[in-house]
Amino acid sequence: MDNFNGIEPPMDTVGNIRVNNARIMCNNVFVHYSDKRAIDNLSLDIEAQKVTAFIGPSGCGKSTFLRCLNRMNDTIATCSVTGEILLDNQDIYAPEIDVVPLRARIGMVFQKANPFPKSIFDNVAYGPKIHGLAESKSHLENQVEEALRRAGLWEEVKDRLDQPGTGLSGGQQQRLCIARTIAVSPEIILMDEPCSALDPIATAKIEELIEELSEKYTIVIVTHSMQQAARVSHRTAYFHLGRLIEVGATKELFTSPHHKLTENYITGRFG
Amino acid sequence: MDVRTLIFLVGVIGLSFYFLGRYRIVTQSAQAVQRPHSLLHYYGLYPFFLAIIPSCFIIAIMQVADGFVLSILIEQYLPADIRGGDEFNKTITLSRIENIASGVIFGSPEDWLIAAANKWLIWSERAQLTTTILAISSSILLGSYAYMKVNPGFRSRNAVEQIILVMMMFCSGVAILTTIGIIFSVIFESLRFFALVSPMEFLMGLTWNPQFEGAERAGSGQEGLATYGSVPLFAGTFLISAIALTVAVPVGLMAAIYLSEYASPRIRATVKPLMEILAGIPTVVYGFFAALTVAPLVRGAGESIGLTVASESALAAGLVMGIMIIPFVSSLSDDVINAVPQSLRDAALGLGSTRSEMTKQVVLPAALPGIVASVLLAVSRAVGETMIVVMAAGLAANLSANPLDAVTTVTAQIVTILVGDQEFESAKTLSAFALALTLIVITLVLNLIALQIVKKYREQYD
Ligand SMILES: Nc1ncnc2c1ncn2[C@@H]1O[C@H](COP(=O)(O)OP(=O)(O)O)[C@@H](O)[C@H]1O
Ligand SMILES: [Mg+2]
Repeated sequence: MDNFNGIEPPMDTVGNIRVNNARIMCNNVFVHYSDKRAIDNLSLDIEAQKVTAFIGPSGCGKSTFLRCLNRMNDTIATCSVTGEILLDNQDIYAPEIDVVPLRARIGMVFQKANPFPKSIFDNVAYGPKIHGLAESKSHLENQVEEALRRAGLWEEVKDRLDQPGTGLSGGQQQRLCIARTIAVSPEIILMDEPCSALDPIATAKIEELIEELSEKYTIVIVTHSMQQAARVSHRTAYFHLGRLIEVGATKELFTSPHHKLTENYITGRFG
Repeated sequence: MDVRTLIFLVGVIGLSFYFLGRYRIVTQSAQAVQRPHSLLHYYGLYPFFLAIIPSCFIIAIMQVADGFVLSILIEQYLPADIRGGDEFNKTITLSRIENIASGVIFGSPEDWLIAAANKWLIWSERAQLTTTILAISSSILLGSYAYMKVNPGFRSRNAVEQIILVMMMFCSGVAILTTIGIIFSVIFESLRFFALVSPMEFLMGLTWNPQFEGAERAGSGQEGLATYGSVPLFAGTFLISAIALTVAVPVGLMAAIYLSEYASPRIRATVKPLMEILAGIPTVVYGFFAALTVAPLVRGAGESIGLTVASESALAAGLVMGIMIIPFVSSLSDDVINAVPQSLRDAALGLGSTRSEMTKQVVLPAALPGIVASVLLAVSRAVGETMIVVMAAGLAANLSANPLDAVTTVTAQIVTILVGDQEFESAKTLSAFALALTLIVITLVLNLIALQIVKKYREQYD
């Protein structure tokens, strides 16, 4: 049905790709791994201070697109990105942009919790240290506590900050990673299936946390769980084979999808 | 029948059993209309293994045992003075007898020697006959036994698996036993050395001078002249190793970091094997490079700034040894740095670290235990290195911390002690074993530490 090798088809995403209050604007984004097209002519706005969810069958390019938003794709030699991705009207792929501060502004939480093999304290303190955010030791301690509190982990770890972060449970590790990201004071947080390795209780905690964080941060979350998207997000985008098929308010997209592919996916007839 | 023909014959018998076994299973399963339990060739392999393995064992054991048994048997034919005399003479006489028996005759041997040689000949023929009969009959008997067992219900695949398992256990046993054997022989000889020289003198003494050694240390009239203080040797070893590590660790580590964090896959694929070639160059080549190129350079450089440099200096040897062990550090460190999961790098980069911050603060700490292990391996290599030292650092057992002096190392001394004529019983010869033992203990401890660190390292992430 979709032939990537043909001439660029006109991209007609169902639903309104634009929002009034956009933090990130993507226009005609293409991503290739060597010659293989992974994102095909995608345009989408990410709304400020809201949770946007990316859903779709695996391999459809959700992670690839998410990693474009903080230029993590730069680390993959074969990956090339074209098109515009504007953060506050500034193209983040412009040559004068330095990725290091960019990634401090746009934090990322990964699919598999990846705490450093350091103490819990050092994990959270890592970002403030490399960016020189703390003026003194006590200031740093405050920042670490603040980040851990926001991530809902403080009560569980406050007595063992000097123990390795890798010794925590899976859910705690993921919250530690969120705390580590928050500690850099990002404006946007990208999350790539943050709960895919967690049990339902740990998942519920993280979802709760996402809801709280959305008051302060702009959040983009990739998830393979439609229930999760329905629970935490305000806006949902459905990807299929590298294309953005449909985007809309979460409630609307799940109750009355307009595109056949979206409908098939959310009613479980696909993937 | 000589051994080669015998082995060939056993092989032929084994092969015949292979085909017989296969043939039998084919016909049997055709008659019984039953699918054999295992693939067909397993029914050939089982009789094949049973036919050849025990026979080969018999041949090997007889080969080893017959010289030993024969020398005991022949002893009664030796004149009383030799029989009662010292071991050394006896060994020589026995080997003369053996030579005469195999037709190598020097001069005109005494009658009793010829008589003994004749006896030897007869007995060794008998031994060979016995070997032949035992080997062939065991081959045929066990082969037939296995052949009889072949039928479609027989689980020959599992049986063959068992045989292979036993063979592998045997092989690993050989490796371990050899190591233990070497260590015990070194320990045993060292004990003999420590009967002549006190361990205190050996371990604490500051002068190494075995040159005045007479036949026997005590009572030779020269006692007290030879001294066996090993401190200068170990000091020399550590001085040279330290110089080598000063070269190898920074260079190797930097190279490893470059290769694993910065280089493109293509550069890495070419540079890494090139560096590993350094490890493949024979050390004697490094040795003359050190002696003929680096040592004069060091000397010239030293003298141009007014330092006196021995023509053979610890510095020259250490520098070259350092170059030699660079690949040990770089290759292994590169591996451990690469083993640091990508997810940790992603985490660091995702927080807005630069590449070098990521390397310094996340990758290297995570890889540190592995890097330490690679350095320890390089240390073992440096401590054990001989050729470069013999050629470039000299043989003077000076106790000096000055890298411009000539020093010597433990391994270089072992070589000089054991090269050329020597008496087995003398303290000088035996001291080589004591040195070797101490060196083995030191490298063993280093390896244990490395192992311990690697173990801890495995627990670090995941
Ligand atoms: N590093 C890579 N190199 C080459 N191809 C990749 C790479 N990462 C992802 N892809 C390909 O890009 C497509 C989209 O992958 P991804 O973004 O991971 O999908 P999703 O996250 O939706 O499951 C897939 O076909 C995948 O095989
Ligand atoms: Mg993905």
